[in-house]
Formats: sequence, structure tokens, C-alpha cells
Amino acid sequence: MSAALEIVDLVKHFGPVRAVDGVSLTVGAGEVVGLVGESGSGKSTLGRCVTRLIPVTSGQVRITGREIGQLSRRALRPLRRNFNIVFQDPSSSLNPRMTVGAIVAEPLRLHGIGTTVERRARVTELLDQVGLRGEVARRYPHELSGGQRQRVSLARALSAAPALLVADEPTSALDVSVQASVLNLVGRLQQDMGFACLFITHDLAAVEYLAQRVAVMYLGVLVEVAERAELFGRPRHPYTQALLSAAPIPDPVAQRARRRIVLTGDVPSPVDPPSGCRFHPRCPVAVERCSVEVPALRRVGPSGATVACHLVADDGTPPVVTDRR
Amino acid sequence: MTLELVPVKETGPAAPAPPGSRRRALRRVLRNPLAALGLVIVVVALLAAALANLVTPFPYDRTDFSAALQPPSPAHWFGTDELGRDQFSRVIFGLRASVEVGVMSVALSLVVGVPLGLLAGFYGWLDPVVSRLTDTLLAFPFLVLAVGLAAIVGPSLTIATIAIAAAQIPAVVRVTRSETLHLREMDYVAAAIADGASDAVLLGRHILPNAVNALIVQATVAVPAAIIGESVLSFLGLGVRPPTPSLGIMLASAQPLFRDGPWLVVFPGVAIVLLTLAMNLVGDGLRDALDPREVRR
Amino acid sequence: MSKLLTVDSLTVRFSTEDGTVLAVDGASFAVAEREVLALVGESGCGKSVTALALTGLLPGTAAVSGSVHMGGQNLRGLPEARLRAIRGRDIAYVFQEPMTSLNPVLTVGRQIGEVLRRHQRLSGAAAKRRAAELLELVGIPLPVRRLSEYPHQLSGGMRQRVMIAMAVACRPRLLVADEPTTALDVTVQAGVLDVLRTLRAEIGTAILLITHDLGVVADIADRVVVMYAGRTIEEAHAEALFARPSHPYTRGLLDAVPNPARHLDGGLREIPGRVPQLSDSPDACTFADRCARADTTCRTRRPSLDPGPAGHPVRCWHPLPVPAAVTTA
Repeated sequence: MSAALEIVDLVKHFGPVRAVDGVSLTVGAGEVVGLVGESGSGKSTLGRCVTRLIPVTSGQVRITGREIGQLSRRALRPLRRNFNIVFQDPSSSLNPRMTVGAIVAEPLRLHGIGTTVERRARVTELLDQVGLRGEVARRYPHELSGGQRQRVSLARALSAAPALLVADEPTSALDVSVQASVLNLVGRLQQDMGFACLFITHDLAAVEYLAQRVAVMYLGVLVEVAERAELFGRPRHPYTQALLSAAPIPDPVAQRARRRIVLTGDVPSPVDPPSGCRFHPRCPVAVERCSVEVPALRRVGPSGATVACHLVADDGTPPVVTDRR
Repeated sequence: MTLELVPVKETGPAAPAPPGSRRRALRRVLRNPLAALGLVIVVVALLAAALANLVTPFPYDRTDFSAALQPPSPAHWFGTDELGRDQFSRVIFGLRASVEVGVMSVALSLVVGVPLGLLAGFYGWLDPVVSRLTDTLLAFPFLVLAVGLAAIVGPSLTIATIAIAAAQIPAVVRVTRSETLHLREMDYVAAAIADGASDAVLLGRHILPNAVNALIVQATVAVPAAIIGESVLSFLGLGVRPPTPSLGIMLASAQPLFRDGPWLVVFPGVAIVLLTLAMNLVGDGLRDALDPREVRR
Repeated sequence: MSKLLTVDSLTVRFSTEDGTVLAVDGASFAVAEREVLALVGESGCGKSVTALALTGLLPGTAAVSGSVHMGGQNLRGLPEARLRAIRGRDIAYVFQEPMTSLNPVLTVGRQIGEVLRRHQRLSGAAAKRRAAELLELVGIPLPVRRLSEYPHQLSGGMRQRVMIAMAVACRPRLLVADEPTTALDVTVQAGVLDVLRTLRAEIGTAILLITHDLGVVADIADRVVVMYAGRTIEEAHAEALFARPSHPYTRGLLDAVPNPARHLDGGLREIPGRVPQLSDSPDACTFADRCARADTTCRTRRPSLDPGPAGHPVRCWHPLPVPAAVTTA
């Protein structure tokens, strides 16, 4: 079975802003890959490129083997039933003038799937799968809570049974307890329906809960990609290490006992990325080579993990990163 | 600098209305005393205009030289003019003409302006083209347009309607375009694209329905301007043809007779002022009620 | 440690188009000197409203009752002029969005200078020196250069540090921080939390930290007050709250947050239902509809804040028992 998603050397520039600057990534069929990064990393832009909501500057995007990066919009439209996206903001992701039922049925309607009667049945089925009662189909978005609206978004995105779902920060705008239910839902749906998922977020804990593989993005490029346990257990790239160290654990005793890496400065802007390794100005262990030579994303260690760092040995040994202070 | 005789106000953004919230907005409007008053006046005027035949004691063109130039009396509430025609009846029928032109011209401007605005806002490359078009329209003071049309076809209410509509189109295009620009960034539009929607579906199902609120507000503000426009045109002889009354024509013919029959000026004038003021109040109230900061959830 | 601020039975009602909304329902808690007290809850629980109510910052549509004692006087009874003197000098605020809290047309130096001028009558060179000192205190590199920069030239994390610098310019006894790190990236958040810790150590300011993020609470809070639907429902030292939560809602919150240190088999626990929006204070437990342990008592009598099985106050008729073997990962 071909991979659900293959990105090869994807580049997206908005004029001088190099939002995505050469990213290659594969998401296997039925796999959940977490894409983490902070603001300015380009992860959301990548998500929109992959779903062709914005045009791609260069590079290839293949969904279930079919190249879609350069297709015309007309040729692309029928292929859209194979992939879809859910967004972060529940208040703007549903058309306020459409009923929930119409929203969820939209992909079916647009792709000519089923008769009206069949579609209505499918909508009821989908609503049930996302944990909403069938009668919600007659409601309007403003009558629903944030969590319920995200469920509707999921039902809509999955109604045509796509092979790939891109989830762009689906829980970030929700309350803590609601985030849990939506995360659980995504996990359950993924297991039941078998779609591949590119889960874009800044929330490391959510990624650790849902993803099988994790890719870390910084300023338009990938710095590390590894299996979940490996990334969280033995992070290699200094940025990954800093990121993990910065995310607080909801457990005071453990949290206060941790050794923390605090990065200096803030995330630079993607308009003029630093030379060489983009992370080097903030990196606690950078050496001269880092400011000159761009590190390639290369395979290290026995497991197939990839890292873009000069200081990671070929056998996978990471640099020991301690606080510069 | 051309003098814009039909100044059409432009209104700001309005939040897309969740269905059911229009009723709440209406209630909010009614709570505003000025807007409520305006609404009452407008409704009364509309009813009177619609039921003109039933409400008026005399036909508007019935002359009676024995009763010429009479001040207001129990027989003729608004007095009579130099031909003995009952002014009350003429004002009511004149209202009808005003309302017709007001509504028709705004409707015409919407039919032409909304698609242009949608296209200009949605397709970036079309934007400058549409701008040139509306700029061209703006370059013609609507009076010149009306005179030109009247010269070719002869003056009539239709000419007036077209000229006024043309004057309103630029504002409609601007409002629609700005709503489109704003709405096309919404996540649900992106979701629709991801669902496989064509541009036509996006514009028709997702953008236009959510732009309607702003257009409603624009229309309620444009109608009074259109009414004044009609009055001006008819006053200048470019609109309605006698004996059909229009408030503008009545003002025009009352001009030389002002000394002998001031009521001939007062009643049509007050009618125009009241009607446009009322519609402006309703429009203001609606705009406040539909303001994005007011619309909740 | 003595009590710096004591809030007693604080109640806030808003009159809105749709009727009265009860935002805060008899909240009582105290902040000790030099303490970091976290006020925790989800959106709509009333924590932000509580913070604003302390110094009378709520709009006219709010009806406030209860008392707020600090330094021997009740802030609630004071005239606006007195409150203005207290704001900034004794109680300072830091909010979530630094971009909208800073004036975009004034340089950083001028904005800090304004605070110093108003409350400490410093001006000219003295103010400039003090401003640079403050920037250094909050960990901004090259502070003197920053003074002449504008807010848009700074990143989010830096702006937040500037906000904090302005807030502590007069060495307030209490810093109220409302979701100070929510809008920041996680690597930047760690730095800002460090700044707060530094302030407590060097200036001795107490911090009332309002947040929904349990990770932040675990990182920096000494004590925690949990709020739900306008009521305070549990109060404990941070470590005790996480290890021995007594209120089912607290337990639910903790279970809802993915925690790599804990291994959950059944998935993240969800709390069914929604936070209620109340117009009146019901004589019942407001969490009863969503609670698996609720019974008739819960639905008919309002629980009071009393010591629970874990030894700290909880507002619940059937608080959770202390786990037999308390392990921390």
C-alpha cells in the first residue's frame, strides 16, 4: 500500500518569508505522525500546503501515490475526497448559516456520493461516531459548544472517508477537559476508520498521547524525526531537548526536580533565517561549524530516526545539553 | 470635484447572522427608542403607500377649480393646489412613487453591485478591473447621467431609477468587496475548499449568505438617499411625468406658489424629511444591532 | 507568613441583555506574603473576574459584594482615587496579551518611565537608570538599548517581560498575573516563569497567578485554589493538590491532561457535560450534574468549604478518599 502522504523537498515562500524551506516527510497508511513546532516553525503552513489550500512554491506532495502539488485546481477537486483538514478555531471553522447536517454532508454532496437519503443516513452515522446525537444535525453552529463544534468539524472532514486527515491544532482553543475528549475522539476514530493523520500542534503532551512518530520543525525545516518513544525518551537534537525540557509536567514534585534547559532569545523570524543551522544562535552547544554549514537531515542510530545536527554522532549519541547559564 | 448629490453612506462590517439572531436583532432595534420610532413611521408610510387607493379620499388627478388653493380644512386635510387637487391624496401617491423608486433603485444596484463586489473581493486580479469600472461610474455625477438618459429616452420614473441605481453601485461594490475579503479568510471557507467546493459554491453557499447582513444595513441606509435622489430628479423634471405625483414634483410646482399656498410646500417637504429621517434611524439602529460586537455566540 | 491579601465572600453579578449572570459566587481565599497562589479553572469559572474585582477594575454592569482586605483596609469600600494609587503601587497586573497592553507608539523606556513618574516621582536620568535596572531584572539582554525600542520591535516573550517590568516598577506587594504565558511558545514560557520566580526572590512580591494550565501550576505555584462555576471548590498546597485531590472536578482536570509521567490505560478521562452558566447561586453543588458521585444531598444542599480527607479545604459532600499508596512518578 502506498504511503498516505509523501512530501519531498517541499518549499513554500511568501515573498521573502521562507515559511517552509525544504521539508521531506512520509506518513504511512493508517499512521499518526505528530508535527510539533512553535510559532514561526512553518508547521501550519506545511499543513495548508499539503492540503493544497495554498499553492506550493516547489517540491512534491503525493497523497496515496498521486502527485497533487502541481495539479490545477480543477483537476485537484475530485481528488480531494482522499484528504481533508480540521482547524484550530471552533468559532470560525463552521459556516454559521448552515445546519450541522448540511456541513457534515458537504463533502458527500460535492463529490456526488450517495443519494440524498443515503447522505442523511451517513450524517447520522457520522454524528454518532463523533459522539453527538443525531438530532444535532438540525442545529446551527452557534448553538453548540467549542468541543461540539470540533466534533462536527471532524465528522465533516471524515465524511468522505479520506485516506489522510490533517489536524491543525484541533484542541488548542479548547478547555482542558474538552481537549481530553477531543483527543480521545481523534484516537478512537483513527483506530476505527484507519485514516492516516498528520497531527500538527505545539502541545507535546498531546503528541505523545496520540502519535506513533514525531517530527520536530524549527523555522521552516525538520530538525528531528523519530518514533514516539525514542523522541521522548532520548531526544537528540538540542532544540528537541529544549522543547521537551520546557514543557511543564503537571506534577509539582517531578516538575521542580527536573533539569531544565532555558533557551536564550526568542524564536527568530522566518524572513531572514540564520546561516548554517538555523538553530545555532539559540543553541546552548553550538560550535563554529554550526553557523557555517547547514546540517542535513540524516539517519542516525539503529532505528531509522533522523536528525539534522552536526553534533549528533552517527550512532545516534546526542550532545549533552545543559543550561548555558 | 463633482458634487455628489446622492451621497450614499457606506456602512462598516456586520457579523454574519446566525439564523434566529435576526429576530433578536430586531428586538434590539425596537428597544432603541429612536429606531423604534423610525420603524413605526416607515411601516405607516409603507402601508399608506400600498393601500393608497383605499386611504385617499380623492383620486390624485381630480381637479376642482372651485376649490383651488385652499388651505388645510376638514374636507381637504392638506389643502388643495392651484388645480384644486387634494394634496393629501397627492402626498400619499407621491409617497408611493418615492418608495417605488427607492426600493427599485436599491434593488437594481444590488443586482449589479453584489456580483461585481464578490468577484472583485474573491479574485485578486479582477479587483483593479472592477475598481476602474466603479471609478468610471463615480466620475459621472448622477445628475449628468439622468440628464443624459432623459435626453435619449425622455424623462420617466424608470430613468430616475436607473440613474439613482448607477449612483449607488460603487458603494454596494465596496461593501460587498470588503465583506468578501474578510470572509474568504474564514476557516470554514478553507474547509469548503478542502471538501471539494468549486469557486461558485464558495461564493454562493459560503460567502454571500454571510455577507447579507452588511448588505441589509447598506440597503436600509441607501433607500433614503434614493428617495431624496428621486425627489431631486423629479424636482428638476427628469423623473416622474405629470399628473403622476411625486414628492419632488410637488415641491417643484409649489415653489412659485409659496406665498399664496405655503401648505403646498410644507406637506410634501415634511413627508420627504420624515420618511428619510425614519429610514436613516432604522438603518442606524439595525447597524448597531447587527454589529459584530453585539452579536453573541 | 502573614496574610497579605484576604478575599472574603466575593460575589460578582453582571447584568446583561439576557438577564443576570453570576460570575463569582462567594469566593474566599487569602494570599500570603511572598507566596505564589494559583487560581485555577477552565474558561467561565470566574477566575479572571475575581482578579479584576480586587481593585475595582470591573465595568459598571458588575455588581460586586464581599470584602478584599489588604494592609488593614477593605479595598472594596475605597473611592476610585485611592484605588488608583493602590493599583500599580501595591497591586500590579500583568495580562495575557502583551501586544494590546503596551502602547504601540511609545518606546519601552517611556512606558516604564510613565509608571515610575506616576508612583515614584522619578524622572530624567534617574528614571532611565531605574528602567534599565528593571529590564535587567526581568532578564532582557542589552537593557539600555531596549529602552529606545518600540513594542513591535520586540518578540512576544520580550514584550511580556517588559509588561512584567512595568508591573513591578514600584515593587508591588502583590502581582496579579492573568494567564501571563498562555499566548507564548513553550520555550519562551519557561523563561517568563523564571522571571516570576526571580521577582519573588529579589523583590519579595507575592503572585496571584491565574491560569488554566496545570503544567504552569506544577512548575511555580506554592498553593492552589481551584474554581468552578464561580465558586472556590478546593484549596491546597500544590504538591498535595496533585497527589491527593479531594474534589471530583480537580481529579477530573488532572486526569484530562496528558501526562507522560503517568501511564493511562483507559485514555484521557473526560468530564461529561458543560460548565453551567448561572444567574443565581443554587442551593446545591454546581458540579453535581457532571459528577459520578452525586446524590440527593449534592443536588439539594450547597456544600461549604471544609477540611476534607486529605487535610485541606474542599467544597464537596463526598470528597475523594486519599489514595492508599501515594506514588509520584
